[in-house]
Amino acid sequence: MPIAITVPRLGWSMEEGTFSAWLKQHGESVEPGEMLFAIESDKVTMDVEALDGGVLYVPADAPQPGERVVPGQLLGYLLAAGEAAPDGRVAVTPRARRVARELDVDLKSLQGTGKGGRIRERDVRGAAPKKPQQPVAQPLRRTIAARMMRSTQNTAPVTLMRRVDATSMAAMREQDKQISYTAIMVKLAAQALEQHPLLASRWEDDSIVAPSGTHIGIAVDTEHGLIVPVIRDADQLSITQIAARLRQLVQAAHARQLKPEDVDGGVFTITNLGAYGVEAFTPILNYPETAVLGMGAVQWEPVALGNGHLVTRQQITLSLTFDHRVLDGAPAARFLQTLAEVMTTALRSGPHA
Amino acid sequence: MTPHSRFLYRTMQLIRVTEEQLARCHARGLIHGACHTYVGEEAIATGVCAHLTKEDAVFSTHRGHGHALAKGMPPFELIAELFGRKAGCSRGRGGSMHLFSPEIGMMGTSGIVAPCILQAAGAGYSAMLRKTKQVGVAFFGDGAVNNGAFHEGLNMASIWKLPTLFVCENNQFATEVPFQYAAGNPDVASRAASYGMPGIQVDGNDVAAVSQAAEEAIVRARSGGGPTLIECKTYRTRPHAEGMGDYTYRTREDVAAWRERCPIKRYRAALLAAGEATEAELNAIDAEIQAEVARATAEAEKAAWPDAADATAHVYAPARSVGPAAVPDESRPPISYAAATLEALDREMADNPNIFVFGEGIGVRGGNFATTAGLFSKYGPERLRDTPISERGFVGIACGAAMTGTRPIVDFMFIDFINDSFGEIINQIAKMQYMSSGRLKMPLLMRGCVGIGHSAATHHSGSYHSIYSHIPGLRVVMPSTPYDAKGLFLHALRSDDPVLFLEHRELMSTKGIVPAEPYEIEFGKARVTRTGKDVTVVALALMLHRVQTAAEQLEGEGISVEIVDPRTVSPLDTGTILRSLQKTGRLLIVDEAFGPCGIAAEIAAHAADAGFNDLDAPIKRLNGAFAPTPYSPTLEAAVTPPVEAITAAIRDLVNE
Ligand SMILES: Cc1ncc(C[n+]2csc(CCOP(=O)(O)OP(=O)(O)O)c2C)c(N)n1
Ligand SMILES: [Mg+2]
Repeated sequence: MPIAITVPRLGWSMEEGTFSAWLKQHGESVEPGEMLFAIESDKVTMDVEALDGGVLYVPADAPQPGERVVPGQLLGYLLAAGEAAPDGRVAVTPRARRVARELDVDLKSLQGTGKGGRIRERDVRGAAPKKPQQPVAQPLRRTIAARMMRSTQNTAPVTLMRRVDATSMAAMREQDKQISYTAIMVKLAAQALEQHPLLASRWEDDSIVAPSGTHIGIAVDTEHGLIVPVIRDADQLSITQIAARLRQLVQAAHARQLKPEDVDGGVFTITNLGAYGVEAFTPILNYPETAVLGMGAVQWEPVALGNGHLVTRQQITLSLTFDHRVLDGAPAARFLQTLAEVMTTALRSGPHA
Repeated sequence: MTPHSRFLYRTMQLIRVTEEQLARCHARGLIHGACHTYVGEEAIATGVCAHLTKEDAVFSTHRGHGHALAKGMPPFELIAELFGRKAGCSRGRGGSMHLFSPEIGMMGTSGIVAPCILQAAGAGYSAMLRKTKQVGVAFFGDGAVNNGAFHEGLNMASIWKLPTLFVCENNQFATEVPFQYAAGNPDVASRAASYGMPGIQVDGNDVAAVSQAAEEAIVRARSGGGPTLIECKTYRTRPHAEGMGDYTYRTREDVAAWRERCPIKRYRAALLAAGEATEAELNAIDAEIQAEVARATAEAEKAAWPDAADATAHVYAPARSVGPAAVPDESRPPISYAAATLEALDREMADNPNIFVFGEGIGVRGGNFATTAGLFSKYGPERLRDTPISERGFVGIACGAAMTGTRPIVDFMFIDFINDSFGEIINQIAKMQYMSSGRLKMPLLMRGCVGIGHSAATHHSGSYHSIYSHIPGLRVVMPSTPYDAKGLFLHALRSDDPVLFLEHRELMSTKGIVPAEPYEIEFGKARVTRTGKDVTVVALALMLHRVQTAAEQLEGEGISVEIVDPRTVSPLDTGTILRSLQKTGRLLIVDEAFGPCGIAAEIAAHAADAGFNDLDAPIKRLNGAFAPTPYSPTLEAAVTPPVEAITAAIRDLVNE
């Protein structure tokens, strides 16, 4: 056990004194009876002798010569050979530090087996969880993981959900099975974004950067993982053209033949889980974009009319995640509002408009 | 005018004009360091060099501009050197005191007074051995004749009848100390008698007299008649060095009087008086030289600076690749460590007639440790040369020989003796390749014993490898087995770098399997002599053997020791040591020599730096005691780490 060295009371009246000097050096070994340090009260200066033996350890924050001290105040310790210093500092070998870093072991939790409690490599290895070696994930999986983390760590996402009428959309698809709900939504979103360009902008270095064009990404599920090809200038294409382009891109994505220009430059993303019966969800932003639109399943539902009648309509839930750094809840809600409107109005002009 | 008198006049004038130009340039700040001019002494270099060819080797001093010019150096190369330019004769590495132009036989000037005497004798040794009729010439001041190199050099030149000329330029002062005061016998020429060679005194300001004396001496040297000492009485009429005060130790009147005895003025008058030359002819020479020096100065001022990236080039000769290591032939009976190097030496001497050995008792006797046993009868006295007890002298001579085409081996018996030549080794031998920008080679092997044992006491037991490994330009080799000894010795014999080959006294008679055929072991390649996983121990020579014993004992305790033998201290193979440390995490260095500033500290520093993250325990050293070696067996045993101390240190380290 370390033996504490404290300031003695020199006479009954001493309330405070001055620490004068160590008479032994830090690290020096001390025999009982040897003079250890000098202290000054108002009346006298006195050399204080060691009552015990050991190696003198003076903590870094111990009183300096000339400092005022009070009786009982700690000055230092006498340690047995190889004994660890009691001020919480743990010695760790450089190698143990390196291995702890590699194995993610918290050094504070360890008891060292080296001299004076020094933590050595073996202590770290002994404490490392014996987890079986996992095969490293495929590169695309790792890319997705990194991108998702980047998004959640760098944005302030909020998701709004809204039920909207999808009857016109369903009717258009009924006429031409080549046209998917997603293709239709690309066109509608492009129109809505024209009125709400904030949702297609991005946050960069404390400023808002306007979009370079209405390039809309589509989340495509492939056997390797998620890929988001981009339909460029979607506002200038008809629904039929969008549907054709989308088919090309999806095919290329499955064949892993997308070119860099097929996936770069998106300003807004649409992700559709409706085919699996999902109604609503909270999509993650495709960083550094500001908004992502999730499409749920298109379903027949009873809708209560104001006159007390029930009708059946086709309905869809739209889930819009937006970055609250760029815009607030109300403007985002207004975008959804616009989208709901164009879903009934815009489709009247047909798939070739 | 005869070509000879034209040479004399022209050369003196070239030296004078160049020196005066350099003095001006020094004042203008174009010269960055010292500048010792030769003004007043021109007749000496000129009179001597008139009889030399570019194959003859000149060695000189801090006051060497005149010698370089007389030997044929263009003034531009000299001036550019003092200006610190790349086109300078020493590529900007030397300045005023280090002028090298081996291409014209200007073998170098030195900032150290007197080694040139030994080096010129060494050039004489090369010429004698190779029968080339060349001569070695040393120019030196009166200051050098009271230095031991003068005594040792002249004596050996005399006993071996070396074709050497010793030219003392007695200008009566060494800096400001009068020769009259500093010399017990101020008659320099008379000292030649002590060494059994002709000593001639001439008026050093009379170029014809110098020329005549030099001619006789050079003819004698070329025809096998041995060396001559020529004392030239002269005076320098400028300060010791440019910018120094001059009249604290001599008077203006003295200097003025000597200016009147100007050798150029005198020779000019003599030529005119004898009708050998006309005023017009001489004036034309003067004008031509003025123009040449002015042009050289202007060009030197414009010349490029050396590239800073070259500051460390040429410390060593370019690396040589060696063949594969020989496989030990187990069927051959083991031979001793000493016999292993003897095999390599014998073989190489048979192949290379330029190899010769210097040492005490290495001739008929075959060496104190039988390092040359049987060679004298094969190769004769010129190649197995017993020397006087003049360690500094013969090391300096070996240096000069190595610079001039031969490959000397100095068999010094005990390193304690060769410490007498420390200055020659670290100032001259180690630096010659660098200072000459790699134009000179230094194939010099110095071999002998180190280490404690046999109650040899403190003057026959030193281990100074750390000291020598501190010096750039040297190789320091310390083999621990007969196999390594032979391979490293042969590599040293084929290397162009100076090598200190240190053989532990206690290992000389140890035996091992050694291949009969020649093989080389490259320097700087450590050997892992035992593999282990708990602790790395680095040791050399005798200590390696103790560590091996310790490791065998510890194996029984479950401690697995890896041992690394660096084999050469310089270069040091830190890579192998660090790789081993990476594996074990623990490092102990065992070295018989003193701890402070030693090789163990050096290795520890590398490990603490490049191996920091591999360290799982403090680095430990085990060194010999910090005390001279005592005689009594009980005392002697107490100053080197015994096996028990090594096992204890390893156990301790494993528990750190
Ligand atoms: C071994 C050594 N000691 C001291 C010096 C410093 N030093 C440089 S020149 C010189 C005087 C040399 O006198 P001398 O040999 O007569 O040559 P001089 O300068 O007269 O031409 C001295 C002492 C030196 N260069 N080398
Ligand atoms: Mg002198």
